[in-house]
Amino acid sequence: MFTCEAPMNYQNTPLTDTVDVALDGPWTQYWLAFLRLVTGWWFFHAGVTKLIEDGLAFTYGPMYMKGMTGTALGPIPVWMGENLAWLIAPGVPLFETLIGLALIAGALTRLAAVGGVIFMTLFWLGNADFGNGLVNGDFMGLLLFVTVLVVGAGRYYGLDGVLENTAFVKRHPKLRYLMG
Amino acid sequence: MTDTIQKAAMALGGGLMALGIVGLGIVEMLAGKPYGAAPLTNEAGAVVATPAVDPVLRTGLVLAGLAVLGLYGVYAAVTAEEATDEAVEAGTIAD
Repeated sequence: MFTCEAPMNYQNTPLTDTVDVALDGPWTQYWLAFLRLVTGWWFFHAGVTKLIEDGLAFTYGPMYMKGMTGTALGPIPVWMGENLAWLIAPGVPLFETLIGLALIAGALTRLAAVGGVIFMTLFWLGNADFGNGLVNGDFMGLLLFVTVLVVGAGRYYGLDGVLENTAFVKRHPKLRYLMG
Repeated sequence: MTDTIQKAAMALGGGLMALGIVGLGIVEMLAGKPYGAAPLTNEAGAVVATPAVDPVLRTGLVLAGLAVLGLYGVYAAVTAEEATDEAVEAGTIAD
């Protein structure tokens, strides 16, 4: 018989009272950590293979942005592609790799997840693969990062759980908004 | 006050995203082909049906919803109180 005992309340979550998952036992933490790990590997793999192939000169990045016409972001991506190529070409492989590593380690998880949300928003709109509707793989990836961010998945089997218990972070609790 | 802002952010952010994805998705389905959010083409590549609702509008609503939630996160971080020395020493920092 399946019973639901005392609900697991994420009292360690800075945005407390916003998440209250009625699941008991360790499975929610376990799965959130796994989800974080896989999402991190996804970006780490994407980033590090670009680094191997193109180093810090991923010229497709600015070109991709220039092609993002007619999206909900208006002229912003095109402007970025034309004027921020110096940042985008090295930034795409570098930030993808760092975001991936951060999620894998569970360190500065929320900060990294914000980066992932920005990347996935650009991929979602830029690829515009909407043949089967708006909810596609890119959007699901975006939701993965939002989920990691909202629940602060870095504290589960991740370094943020350790970092948040240091005296420095306890003295500056605002830092927790950048961590798990 | 903070609780009100939080609830407003949750309602507005979630509402905008649900409208863009589900609400207008239902409109898109009821309007007939292409059902999705991309034009339908024939084998020759010619467009035979276009979405009833501009995908730019729908994705824009989702982005607006995400922006609302993101802004609330920034607001919550900015307005969060720093710990006092006494609280740190006593280990009574609220998680």
